[in-house]
Order: sequence, then C-alpha cells, then structure tokens
Amino acid sequence: MRPARSIRRDLVVRLSAGLIAAIAVAAVATYLRARDEANDIFDYQLKQMAASLTGVPLAGAPPGSASGDDALVVQVWDRNGVQVYLSQPQQPLPRHGEPGFSTIGTGGGDWRVFSALAGGQIVQVAQPLSARRELAASMALRTIVPLLALVPFLAALVWFGIARGLRPLDRVAIAVGERSPAALLPLTEAGLPVEVAPLVHALNGLLGRLGRALGAQRAFIADAAHELRTPLTAVHLQAQLAERATTDVERAHALAELRAGLERATHLVEQLLTLAREEPGVNERPFAPVNVTDLARHVVAEYAAIASARHVDLGMPERDLPADDAIVNGDGAGLRAMVSNLIDNAVRYTPAGGRVDVSVQRDGDDVLLAVRDTGRGVPPSERERVFDRFYRMPDADTAGAPGSGLGLAIVKRVAERHDAVITLGSGLPGRSGEGLGVTVRISASAGVRGAEKNDRNIS
Amino acid sequence: MRLLLAEDDRMIGASIERGLKQDGFAVDWVQDGRAVELALAENVHDLLVLDLGLPRKEGLDVLRAMRRRGDDRPVLIVTARDAVSDRVAGLDAGADDYLVKPFELTELAARIRALLRRSAGRAEPVVAYGDIELHPDTREIRVRGEPVALSAREFALLEALLARPGAVLSRAQLEEKLYGWNEEVESNAVEVHIHALRKKLGADAIRNVRGVGWMITKARGGVD
Repeated sequence: MRPARSIRRDLVVRLSAGLIAAIAVAAVATYLRARDEANDIFDYQLKQMAASLTGVPLAGAPPGSASGDDALVVQVWDRNGVQVYLSQPQQPLPRHGEPGFSTIGTGGGDWRVFSALAGGQIVQVAQPLSARRELAASMALRTIVPLLALVPFLAALVWFGIARGLRPLDRVAIAVGERSPAALLPLTEAGLPVEVAPLVHALNGLLGRLGRALGAQRAFIADAAHELRTPLTAVHLQAQLAERATTDVERAHALAELRAGLERATHLVEQLLTLAREEPGVNERPFAPVNVTDLARHVVAEYAAIASARHVDLGMPERDLPADDAIVNGDGAGLRAMVSNLIDNAVRYTPAGGRVDVSVQRDGDDVLLAVRDTGRGVPPSERERVFDRFYRMPDADTAGAPGSGLGLAIVKRVAERHDAVITLGSGLPGRSGEGLGVTVRISASAGVRGAEKNDRNIS
Repeated sequence: MRLLLAEDDRMIGASIERGLKQDGFAVDWVQDGRAVELALAENVHDLLVLDLGLPRKEGLDVLRAMRRRGDDRPVLIVTARDAVSDRVAGLDAGADDYLVKPFELTELAARIRALLRRSAGRAEPVVAYGDIELHPDTREIRVRGEPVALSAREFALLEALLARPGAVLSRAQLEEKLYGWNEEVESNAVEVHIHALRKKLGADAIRNVRGVGWMITKARGGVD
C-alpha cells in the first residue's frame, strides 16, 4: 500500500530538495569563480617569480627556499639547452618550448607552467594545479556550509508553517463531520483564507442542494405514507365486512369490494414506484430511438378492455395517423409510462358514453402526442396544480375507482427528462363539458441533447 | 340512533356505512364539508363521524363552526392524521373522540355507543327502565331478566324511546331515528313496530298519546 499523500510532507521534501539543489549550484559557481581568481593570482605569482629569477646566476641552491609549501618547481636552461638549475630534483618536468603560460599533464598531475627567455637563459616556473583546486574548493565549502545548515531550519519552519496554514482545513473537516442529514447547516465562511474559502463555498452549495433534496424526499415519503393509508384503511374495513358476512351473497359482495380495494392499493404502489424510477438522477436509462406511434398503438390496445368496460370509446382517429416517422430519441419505458398515464386519466375521468382520442403527429422536427377526451376538462385555474403529486381536483372522480393522484406527476417527470413541453387545453366537447386535451411536444433536438447527456454520464 | 358519516373516500365511506348499519345504526353518508353542514342543519342526527380531509370545507372548520353555533352533538373524528398535534387540534376544536385509520369496525361502534351514552348523561352501559334492560353493546333486551328477541328496527325504536324516558316522541321523530335518507319509510311502519314491541314487552310498556306520539312507561307490576 502506498503511504497516504501529505501536502505538508510533499512540500517539505520538495522545498528541501530545491534548496539543496540551489546550494549545489551555488557551490559549483563559487568553486568555478574561486578557481578563476586563484588562476589569475597564481599566474601572476608565477610570472613574478620568473621575472625575479631572470639574470640571476643560479648555482647550487635556488634563491628562494625552493622547498616551500608553494611547491613551485623552478628550472633553468642555458642557451644550449643544458639544464643548469632544478629546484626540486624529485619533480623533473619537461622543458616547455613556448614562452608564456601553458598547462601540461604529467604522471603526478596537471601543472601550470610559465616560461620566459631572458639573458640567454630559459627560466621555467611550474606549479601543480591541485593547489589551486584545493584553494577554490575550500573557498566554495566555506560559502555553502552555513547555507547547508539553513536547510533543516527552513524545513522545520515550513513544516510548522504549513501545519498552521492548514489549520482552517482541520476546522472545516470537524465542521463537516458534525453535519448530519438531520442538520445540514451551512459552514461559516467568515475569516477563511482565500485558498480554503472556495472549497467551503462549494461545500455550502452542496449542503444546500442536499438539504433541499432530502427535504423533498422526506415530504414525498410523508405524503406517500399518508396516501397509502387511505386505500389500506379501505381494504382493512372491507376485510372486516367480509369476515362479518353471514350469507354467501353478502360474502361474495364483500369479497368483490375487497378485491377492488386491493387493486386500488396495488395501483397506488405501482404509481409510486414509477414516480420513484423517474426521479432525476435515479437509474437513468440510456436514450434510444422510440417510435411514438407504435407506442401509442400498444397502450391504446392495452386500455381497450378497461375503456369498453366503462363504456368509453377509446381509439386513434384514422385520418390523423401519421407516417411511421414519429421517432424520437428517448427512454422507451419512461415514454410508455407517460402515454399509459395520459390514457388512464382520460379513460378514468371520462363519463360513460364518452370518447377518448389519441393522436401522434409530426410538426417539423417535433413529435406531437395528444390525448383528448369528452370529460369535464380542467379549468385554467387548476392547470398548474394538477401536476402536483397527490393533487386531485375537487369532485374529480365521478365514476370508477379514485385515481392515485400521481398520473400527471409521472407525466411531468418523464416530460422533463425529455425536455418535452406539456400543454393542457380543451379536448372534445361533450355532454359533461369541453373535455380535456393534453398535448406533449417532444422535440428531436431535445432527444439529441438527452443522448449527449447520457454519453457524458457514461464517460 | 341515527348517525351522520362524513368521509370523502368512496370505498372507506361505503364500508363504514355498511358496518354501522349492521351494528343497528341508521347512517347518512356525505362526502364533502358543505354537505355535512347541510345535513347538520336538519338536526336529525345523534352523532357525527367526521373525516378531517374533506373537500369543499375542512373537517376541523366544519367542527369549529358547529361548536360556535352551540351544536353540542357528539363528534367522533376518524382520520389518517395520527400525529399527537393533530389529535390535540382535533379534540381542542371540539371533538369528543379521535380514532386513527385504519381501525376496527367493532371499536368504532363501541366508541360511538360510549359517546351516545355519555351525551345521554349515563355512565352505565346498560339502559334500564322499569322491567326493561337494554344492552347497547350486545344489542340485547331483557324483560325481568329474560332475554327478548327484537328485530333491528324494533331495537332502534325501543332505544330511541328509552333514551328519553317519559318524553313523548312523535311519529316523525321516531322515523328519523329509524331510517337514513336513502331508505324508504314504509307507511304505518312505526305503528307496526310499536305493535310488535308491545307484544314482546307487555301491552302497557309503550303508551300512545293520541295525536301526539308514544312514550315509554314503567310496566304495571314492575318494581317502582
């Protein structure tokens, strides 16, 4: 396992490494400069020495103490090339022809040599380069040693400085840890360093969104529990009546009512599940081409029996049947739930003898799905509220079992996912009113956008 | 005893109505708040079973308005709202009892009987007058300790008479106690039931005040 990353350790290591590298560069630079200076000084010294030896009769011992630490080697040759003087016999150096400075390599290291021709004699003064290097190195060392001593001090300073600088992060961590789904209070943004403030600001945004989402969920669960209690109470009472029944006729009647009650409770649970599946961000199915005409035909066929039992004429008008190019990019299951709920509503709230027409048309790039009925219709003042979950219009259910109050909420959710636009208007005029017409406009470009969204979700 | 039932859910309302009728109550069922007020104005019901989530006018508003008018008939709230604050609000608005859905029909009937008993100023569940004992919970009649079998209508009629001993009840008052709105009142029905009751309880148990109505009396030979 890799050790956990630490900003503090990373910073200290990198800073120390950088510092040491900088000191190394400084050391090399100091060394090179010191060597150049030493060269100048020593070369001058060699030259002076050679000059001082010119014309001096050299016999026997050299003039200056040749055995000094300078380790200078002085050699003198006469006109004929005979060596007349050698200051240090143990250091024989070849005679160098050219007058002036030169550097020669021998088995005993590199030497700096100065030759001068004067008074018929060749004077050659030589000095080992190692002396100069040692001097330069010691100068460089003297410069960097105090700098090196600074490294641990700086590292410690950075170590503690960063700990101090990161303290707001610790406070944020504690504050975030104290948050719970029950208490999503925003974090304090006052007095935070600029580096941490954006993080806390973003966290507060997230906490706010989470709080709202949780609140919506809680409200939904409370509503759902309350709404479930009604059909369950009915079933409970119907079961008691069935138990009390003393004759077969009574029992058969009570059991038929119990079955109707169970169907209502089941329908509500199924609608709740459908709505939960259409919840944004939950289990989003990828978009695919969906033929809306085929879909509508299937759902109409599914509801044919229910509609005829309620004496409602459900169908798709022949003349309106479009070409089979009513294809949108969408979620087949979601669109099916939407069409089912629209037709279910129309059949449920249309009185016996009424009519429900389902049509699919193309308008440019858009596909228009319309369900029109001969029911009472929805007055304009109610047209916003009917999409709220569990909202039922006053006196809405004139016949048959009451609805779940979720149908149009599901339709709205599906439409939102498809960027489709729902319009409520009047439907087919009938005996009970002007009817209700629901039109859903699904645009082709919306489908493409949906597909892109899915691609993004996958990547 | 005639009850007014206010419940907007058709399935629940139908089941409660049927169950209470089986328990011997005459029941009128309405589905919205306005209809409750119209029915209360008739002043024929002995008790109101009230659901809170009513369309047109909220149950609690109906209840408050009823108490403001000085209408003190017992009210039993039947609702899915089970929070303590809801119960407190319901009782504070003037309800006499509070039953949370789902509930047992037997419990609903027992609570209704208890409320009717208390509103009649009795603590004893058994109504006794002269030789006659009426057990509302078991729907049993005893005369001098001997059980007597009565039909549901006969029982309801006797119950109405026993509720106000010594008072004369008119035919219209008795019919109101016997029939709900959608039940057809047979002509002579009251006379027929009174006749049957006299045969079972003793000829002088119920006295006719000509042109006015009937009252229950302590049978001759009974313990005064």
